[in-house]
Amino acid sequence: MLNRAIVEGTALAALAVSVLFLWVRERRKARPESDGGYTTREEIEFEIGRIQSEVYRWLTTTDHRDIGLLYIAFGTAAGLWGGVDAMMLRTELLTPPADIWTPETYNALFTTHGLTMLIFFVLPVFFGIGNYVLPLLIGADDMAFPRVNAIGFWLLPPALILVRMGLMIQVLGQLLNLVLPAEAIRFFLTMREVSVGWTLYAPLSVQQPNPQIDLLLLGLHLSGIATTVGAINFITTIVYERGKGVSWANLDIFSWNMLVTSGIALFAFPLLGSALVMLLLDRNLGTAFFATEGGGAILWQHLFWFWGHPEVYILFLPATGLMSLILPKFVGRKLFGYQFIVYSTLGLGVLSFGVWAHHMFTTSADPRVKLSFMAVSIAIAVPSAIKVFNWITTMWEGDIRLTAPFILCAGGIGTFIIGGVTGVFLAVIPVDILYHGTYYVVGHFHLIVVGIIPFLMIAASYYWYPLITGRWYDTRMARFQALLIVFGSFVTFMTLLIIGGLGLPRRQAIYPPEYQLAQQIATVGGYIIGLSALLWLYNMLVSYWRGTPVTTTDPWGLKATSQFTREWQWFEQRMVDKYDIEPTEPETTRRSYAPEAEPTGLAGGVGTVAQTVSRNAWMAAVGGFVGTVLMSGGLITAILIGVLDPVSFGEIAELVGLPASPAIGAGLFLVGGTVTWPLLFLAFSDYLPGRLLFETGLVFATLISSGFAIAFYTGQSGLAFVGYLTFVLVSHWAYGIGLTVTFQYLKSDEALRSRGGG
Amino acid sequence: MSNGADSFVFQYLAPFVGVLLIAVGIAGAVPGGYALVEPELENCGNPTIGVESPAETAERFGGDEPGPQLPQLAFEELSSAEQTAFLTAVDDPVGEEQVVGDVPNADSFRRGALVAYEGDRYYVTIVAENTCFAAAPLQFPLGVFAIALGFLGVLAPPLYRRLVRLEQRAGRSE
Repeated sequence: MLNRAIVEGTALAALAVSVLFLWVRERRKARPESDGGYTTREEIEFEIGRIQSEVYRWLTTTDHRDIGLLYIAFGTAAGLWGGVDAMMLRTELLTPPADIWTPETYNALFTTHGLTMLIFFVLPVFFGIGNYVLPLLIGADDMAFPRVNAIGFWLLPPALILVRMGLMIQVLGQLLNLVLPAEAIRFFLTMREVSVGWTLYAPLSVQQPNPQIDLLLLGLHLSGIATTVGAINFITTIVYERGKGVSWANLDIFSWNMLVTSGIALFAFPLLGSALVMLLLDRNLGTAFFATEGGGAILWQHLFWFWGHPEVYILFLPATGLMSLILPKFVGRKLFGYQFIVYSTLGLGVLSFGVWAHHMFTTSADPRVKLSFMAVSIAIAVPSAIKVFNWITTMWEGDIRLTAPFILCAGGIGTFIIGGVTGVFLAVIPVDILYHGTYYVVGHFHLIVVGIIPFLMIAASYYWYPLITGRWYDTRMARFQALLIVFGSFVTFMTLLIIGGLGLPRRQAIYPPEYQLAQQIATVGGYIIGLSALLWLYNMLVSYWRGTPVTTTDPWGLKATSQFTREWQWFEQRMVDKYDIEPTEPETTRRSYAPEAEPTGLAGGVGTVAQTVSRNAWMAAVGGFVGTVLMSGGLITAILIGVLDPVSFGEIAELVGLPASPAIGAGLFLVGGTVTWPLLFLAFSDYLPGRLLFETGLVFATLISSGFAIAFYTGQSGLAFVGYLTFVLVSHWAYGIGLTVTFQYLKSDEALRSRGGG
Repeated sequence: MSNGADSFVFQYLAPFVGVLLIAVGIAGAVPGGYALVEPELENCGNPTIGVESPAETAERFGGDEPGPQLPQLAFEELSSAEQTAFLTAVDDPVGEEQVVGDVPNADSFRRGALVAYEGDRYYVTIVAENTCFAAAPLQFPLGVFAIALGFLGVLAPPLYRRLVRLEQRAGRSE
């Protein structure tokens, strides 16, 4: 078996040396000796002095932008460390037996991978982005408590060291063992990485004697303090430090998400801290919180997941905030449904505390209690779905610019939909009992934690790179990298979903040989993710020195769609002050949500809202009636041919409590076609594709035909089924055409009359 | 497909195929190379045993006498390699140690065995087989080749742009 400590230590050292090499090389290239001569001793001394003052500045800074960058750098380093763990895990899974690492090493790898990524990668990066841009977005001078902000960050490096001390001590022990006898350095040879799983379940975590577990608990506790401190700072900043003109109603969506995230963290992390202290006491002072004689092992699971599930939303919400902020900029449209996104975020914040026991469906908890958690876990999909709906609608008919941030946003929506929908299945108790211990769960949550979350971090890094550095990154490489990481994530985690669906257990170093090909595909996908991460790192580092300097105050052309938000206004001011650059003015500007003109509504937008609504409503009703009559022709033909059963109309009548008569059902159908569906069309027609109204009507009819096909299906098969589907579709097209053509006819008639009258 | 200075094939497809090749190459070369060096580095083929303390052993059997099917060995019956590993595992915080040398009692350990030592009984089992890694001989060289070829693919866009500039310069000088 390979020695994990040496391999991981070497890999991390190689990564660090490569980054340092790139940094020094590019820096030297960027600043050549002006006289062409050799570097003198004085210059070296000057350089050392400069480095000293820089180090001092970075160690003592309280500037929110500096601390933001420190957070991002720290989070990236932790992410790379956790990524090395992941690559090592995937390498082991290339072959069915545990023949590259020992099973214990494998256990340690997935334990530390999980903890490093969740605690030290995701949250610090989001806190970093928040620190940098949030005060700019809300017009604050700095965070509310700058010194506390600095303390919050500087607690994290020692926390990470404590958590990952096992590896460092192992490496040190093996180095010392080259010169010292094993007996003299027994401590260093005894410590090892924790291998009890990132969830630290009792009684294993209480009973395993590895002293590194204690250090890990202390490290996690420290990181929890750092997070709580940071959360308090964000909340106070957003509540009290907003600039002039920034109200709750127009607070940007990223700040809303950071506010809710911080609120969740404020309630969740202190509880984790308490649970960690209890575990420490159980391990070291003989208390019995999690012993069978005391609180019981299940108590740990309750406490852990009471933090653990809100933690999922702590990680996820900032990513959705970034999505809602960045996506509109690259589709030239205002975010659709700002209010609903805010409400859904608040809803997630509350609901996230009511679902924790869905992680415990396979325990002996009371089934009635589990049932309530199942209901809330299914319900929590709704606010997330609202977000997805709003993002897709924002993109719809947009003026899409295929940049790296956009590719990552679109890819993030894709992975989130699959990751989210597979999660809804897991919320159902019987399904979860089947799949809880399989790769299905791994695939499900990785589609989110290696989907939308890092995608949006990277998207943000590209989006704000000109703002932070004043330079452009290599945009072509960025587009390529974006596509690569989306591709790699899909390949890896869709494969895991499939093998999980087939029943392959997770958390095992050894697996049956028939799964080897699938595991190899997943591993290659994992390597692609790793390579794309390195490509991103290369682009970020090298472009800092070699990137083309930004020479405009509006690098993304946001003024053209009236989306030049506060952080870019700050950037513009800085460019004007620093380089005396003229503020960029676009040739044309338009409101970001109406490509051609101001939205006028379908009927021309004249008069009061009430008049417009009532006018639209009656025209839609007439159109709907005509459409339904036309549609009936198709449906009657279908009934005559025998592919549609009229009895199914009776079910509609039953649905509203009337006798199950096909005639009553047909009457209700006519009413629905006249009132409900035309009004829905009216509400959504602006967001449906199609340049002409009848095209939009056809799209609408096609969409609603799927509901009809399901509702009126009575077991047709073979050709009858094909005929049924065809008639349903064609009849709905007739409805769509009838609705929209009548509507347009009435509208043009009215317009003619109003012009004549005027 | 080539369109002046902007070719989809060279700008996007070639580096994409390159990354795929590198990823597949790593999957081939890393285990392939490991298979070559493993015998020099590790004691593969020797299992790791887990030894439970007398208290844990007693708890495992709930105070009952273990059944007749369970092998019961005296410490002295173990080979010297097994004895060394046993003693180290007893002192180890996790209670595990790899056996370096002959393991004549491997089958007993595999099923779980009781070892009597200094009046106490310890439950011993194999926790990892540490099987030697086997790979096809061509796996390592082909993997390295795929990585090298992949790098060429990844570097295709700048190379391509350089070639286009060369062509343009040549065109001007004619």
